[in-house]
Amino acid sequence: MRRALPGDRLTGMASAAAVAATALLLLVPAVLVALLSFSEDRYFDFPPHAWGLHQYRTLLEDPRWGSALWLSVRIAVPVAVLAALVVVPTLLAIHRSRLPFRNALAVGGIAGIVLPISAYAVAMYGLYAQIGLLGTYWGLVLANLTLAVPVMLLVTSAAMSRIPVELELAAMVVGASRVQAWAAITLRLLFPAILAGGVLAFVTSLDEAVLVNFLGGPGLETLPKAILDSVRYGLEPVIAAIATLLMVGTSLAMGLAARLTRLGAR
Amino acid sequence: MRLAGRSAETSLPASPPREAGSDDAEGHWSAILANRWALLLVAPLLAVLLGFVAYPLAKLTIDSLSTGDGIGNYEAVLQSSAGRRALITTVLASVLVGAVAVLLGGLLAWHIRIAKSAVVKAVLWLAVLAPFWMGTVVKNYAIVILLSAEGPLDKGLELVGLAPVSLLYTSTAVGIGMVYTMVPYAAFALYGVFLTIDESLLLAARGMGASRARAIVSVLLPLAMPGILASGALVFAISLGFYVTPVLLGGAQTPFMASFIQDYIFTFYDYPIASAASVILLAVALLTLGLTLALVGRGRLRRAVA
Repeated sequence: MRRALPGDRLTGMASAAAVAATALLLLVPAVLVALLSFSEDRYFDFPPHAWGLHQYRTLLEDPRWGSALWLSVRIAVPVAVLAALVVVPTLLAIHRSRLPFRNALAVGGIAGIVLPISAYAVAMYGLYAQIGLLGTYWGLVLANLTLAVPVMLLVTSAAMSRIPVELELAAMVVGASRVQAWAAITLRLLFPAILAGGVLAFVTSLDEAVLVNFLGGPGLETLPKAILDSVRYGLEPVIAAIATLLMVGTSLAMGLAARLTRLGAR
Repeated sequence: MRLAGRSAETSLPASPPREAGSDDAEGHWSAILANRWALLLVAPLLAVLLGFVAYPLAKLTIDSLSTGDGIGNYEAVLQSSAGRRALITTVLASVLVGAVAVLLGGLLAWHIRIAKSAVVKAVLWLAVLAPFWMGTVVKNYAIVILLSAEGPLDKGLELVGLAPVSLLYTSTAVGIGMVYTMVPYAAFALYGVFLTIDESLLLAARGMGASRARAIVSVLLPLAMPGILASGALVFAISLGFYVTPVLLGGAQTPFMASFIQDYIFTFYDYPIASAASVILLAVALLTLGLTLALVGRGRLRRAVA
């Protein structure tokens, strides 16, 4: 059925070449950072003059990075938990009720990640200045929550729409209450997706670098903010080591989330 | 973010007919939840959306009109050369980034879709996922290194006897950073779009004598167009707000709205001007998204959010 036409070879080769180039360019920065993390140099230079674990040792010795990471984790954990607490009841309502505005809610729920973030940050700055949340820990938790909720919603609602309502109905016919049916069937089936959403909400919060610049303050230096400030004022080679560890951690977390999503889809 | 490809929908037995009765007329065994309980369940999300999205945006708009010089704040942004330049640069860059991201992302997504070799598929997926794994700040840090005067690009050019291009701290560098972030995003969204398109339609076109290019232009593109539009519009709207990229790759001198807004808040302590600039940015984004919504529908726009 497929006859190669004269032009086919040319367009095929051109598009394959474009794809190969794009893929290569997307991979280069990650490889570059990983390579540079094994540089022994005190100042950034390429290629490094000597190789070793100097940057990783510096990382361990400087308490600044550890405490920035610890703050980021202390923000990201409640963000992931709160995102689940906000989203899971919403899913039940959206998928199991005839609430008139439920579809609008499903779309409005993801607004936080499609708005231009620097404009949204100014809006949050205005709100926080008014209610006194500027420069507070809980202010950052709530701000990151607005970005984590859409992520959680996207990951879990696909899974929720795959759970047949007939299973709940069957449980209720044999005597379960609605709450029992939800707890024993729906939430159990949804659990891998909730975990996946939680992991991605955690990663989203850990990665947040814009809102913290507007809403944070002294004493609230999260890891992305610490890296941002460091890169803004100079190229400390130790950043390559942090960046590499972050890449490894994030890829593992996202891989886990993908696996959980697939588990739920079975 | 969708990480796994969409798995085939399991086919369900047809749902039993449900009465559309009022709230309280629901039977004991109905799977449909009464509206008053549903309202209680969506209350947390409503609180987050109203309190932390709708209210701040409304307050921002009101503040931009009622503090400082009122409507004059907008004049100040649009009539100052810095403000105008920032707005024009940001909008043009975002349009360009939208177009390039959809083109390259689409190309990647299509090749992932049609790749026969598992290795090719895996490598292409890795290329799409690697920028996601890097995270916002690390991604931009990597590009700072790549483009800096001591970095591999300029050193490489020097090695082969060419003049260094010194791209860091230029608008081009910001453009590169934005494209780097948005190509994988578009690829993700468009992969979902391409999955819904039956490959045999293309084979049929080719069986009837169309060239490969012709089959793609007259069969694939029209079918994928709503998805392509939706993903382009989203990339554009998100690009408008880029903050880390202009700050790290553009430096202090490159005009982007994010740097403009930040300067007015933290250097000049002029919240009224910053809020007017933000409202302009939001208005451009919302207008684009609204128009796209009207053109392609809610479902497609939502699916384009990777």
